Amino acid sequence: MNTCNTIRDFITHEMLHDSLKTPLGDDDQLVDSGIIDSLGVMNLLSFLEEKFSIQIPDDDLIPENFASLSTITALVERQMAR
Amino acid sequence: MNFAFTEEQQKIRNTIIDFARQELNPGIIERDRAGVFPRDLWVKCAEMRLMALPFPEAHGGDGFDFVTTVAVFHALGYACKDSGLILSLATQVICGLTIQLSGNQEQAACLLPDLASGTLIYAQGITEPDSGSDTFAMRTTATKKDGGYILNGTKTMISNGPVTDRALIYAVTNPTKKTLARISCFLVPKGNPGFSAGNPMEKMGLRTMTNGELVCTDCYVPGPSLVGREGQGVILFSEVVEWERVLICAGLLGGLERVLEDCIRYAKERKAFGQSIGTFQAISHKIATMRMNVELGRLALYSAAILKNKRKRAALESSVAKFFISESLKQACLDAVQIRGGYGYMSEFEVERDLRDSIAATIYSGTSEMQANTIARLAGL
Ligand SMILES: Cc1cc2nc3c(=O)[nH]c(=O)nc-3n(C[C@H](O)[C@H](O)[C@H](O)COP(=O)(O)OP(=O)(O)OC[C@H]3O[C@@H](n4cnc5c(N)ncnc54)[C@H](O)[C@@H]3O)c2cc1C
Repeated sequence: MNTCNTIRDFITHEMLHDSLKTPLGDDDQLVDSGIIDSLGVMNLLSFLEEKFSIQIPDDDLIPENFASLSTITALVERQMAR
Repeated sequence: MNFAFTEEQQKIRNTIIDFARQELNPGIIERDRAGVFPRDLWVKCAEMRLMALPFPEAHGGDGFDFVTTVAVFHALGYACKDSGLILSLATQVICGLTIQLSGNQEQAACLLPDLASGTLIYAQGITEPDSGSDTFAMRTTATKKDGGYILNGTKTMISNGPVTDRALIYAVTNPTKKTLARISCFLVPKGNPGFSAGNPMEKMGLRTMTNGELVCTDCYVPGPSLVGREGQGVILFSEVVEWERVLICAGLLGGLERVLEDCIRYAKERKAFGQSIGTFQAISHKIATMRMNVELGRLALYSAAILKNKRKRAALESSVAKFFISESLKQACLDAVQIRGGYGYMSEFEVERDLRDSIAATIYSGTSEMQANTIARLAGL
C-alpha cells in the first residue's frame, strides 16, 4: 500500500464515525471538518512516526500539515526523504 | 525496558532526598496552615538547580535527559512533604518545556535562562471559569492588531498565578476554525498593561502553592509574544500535556512511596489487642495494595518517561500513568488516615495533609474521568 493509502486506511478506521465511513478523498478537509481533533492528532502522529519510522519535528506540528490526506502524505514524505 | 537508575541518577536522587529533608520539610505544618508561597524555599530549590534540569546548557539549563528529570522529581516527591512546592516547581519546568517544544530557538534562548534559574516565576493559563475539562471551549480571545495581538479573557485556578512573572496564556486566534487550528499560545509578562493576577484562592490542599485568576483586559502583546506559531496552540498543548503528566506523576509516585513507608513503620509500631496492628489482615492488605501500586506505578511512570525521552508520542502511556498513580495516591492517603486511626485525623501527624494534597492530583492536568475518556478513545471506543 502506498503512503497515502496507508494513512487513509488509518484515519478511516480510527477516526471516522461509522456514519462517515465513506471513501475519504485526498483533499477532504480533516481539520476544518473536526475529523482530526486534539487527541486525534496525537494518535495520528504516533501512528505515522511508528509506521514510517520518522520523527516529525516540533516545527512541523502545525494544523496546516494535518489539513487533508494530501498534506499529511506530503509531511510524511518530506520526513522520509530526510 | 530497563528501569534501574544509573549511578549518576542515584547520586543526584540521594542529594535531593537529603536536601528536601533538611531544607524543605521543617515548618511544613505551619506553612500549610498559613497558606503562603515559600519564596525562600523556591530560591533554595533554584540553587539546587531543580528548575534547570532538562534544559540545554546553552539556554541556562543543566542538560539532563527527561528520564533523569523524572527520577529527580520522583525523589523530591518521596522526600519532600511540601506537595504544593513540588507542583509549583513542576509548573515552572512544564512552562520551560512548552517554550522549548514550540520550536522557536530565539525565544528559548531569550526566556529559558531566567526560567531555569528560577529568577522569574512562570504559570500556564488554560482553564477558564466556563471551561476546564472541555479545554478548547475556552473563550479568551487574541485579536490581531498593529503587528501584535489584543488579549481578552479570564483564566482561573492557575498554579503560580498570583506570584507569576511570566504567564503562558492560551487564547482563541481563529474562532471560525475547528478545535485544532483555533488556539494559540502567548507569553504575557507581569506588568503588561491590561494584564493582572488575582489574589490566591483559598483551597483544601497544596496550600503552599498559590492558585488564582489571570485576567486579560484589552491586553496588547507584540507579535513575538506568540509561543510557537499562530493556530499551533492545541497541538502544542497536546504534546506538552504528555510531558506534564509524566513529570507530575513522578512527584506523586514519590509521595506514594513515602506514604507506604510511613504506614509500614506505623503498622509495626502501633499495638492493639496485644499485637502490632500490621498483623491484622484488614491493615496489612491495605498496605499490600499500596505496595502493589508502587510497583505498577513505577512501570507506568518510567515507560511513559522513556517514550518522551526518545521524543515519541505517549498520549496513552501518560494518561495511564496519570490516572493510575493519582488515584493510587489518593486511596493510599485515605487508607493511611484509617491505619493511624484518630491520630491520622490530627494535623500534627501530617497524614491528613497528604490526603488533602492528593485529591487535587485527580483533578489538575486532566481529571481522572478525562484520563479514562482518553484511554477509552485510544482503545477505539
Ligand atoms: C490544584 C490545581 C491546580 C491547577 N492548576 C492549573 C493551572 O496551572 N493551569 C490551568 O489552566 N488550570 C489549572 N487547574 C485547573 C484544572 O486543570 C481544572 O480544574 C480541571 O481541568 C477540571 O476542570 P473544571 O474544574 O472546570 O471541571 P469540569 O470540567 O467542570 O468538570 C467537572 C466534573 O465533570 C467531569 N467531566 C467533565 N467532562 C467530562 C466528560 N466528558 N466525561 C466524564 N466526566 C466529565 C470532570 O471529570 C469533573 O469530575 C488547576 C486545578 C487545581 C485543582
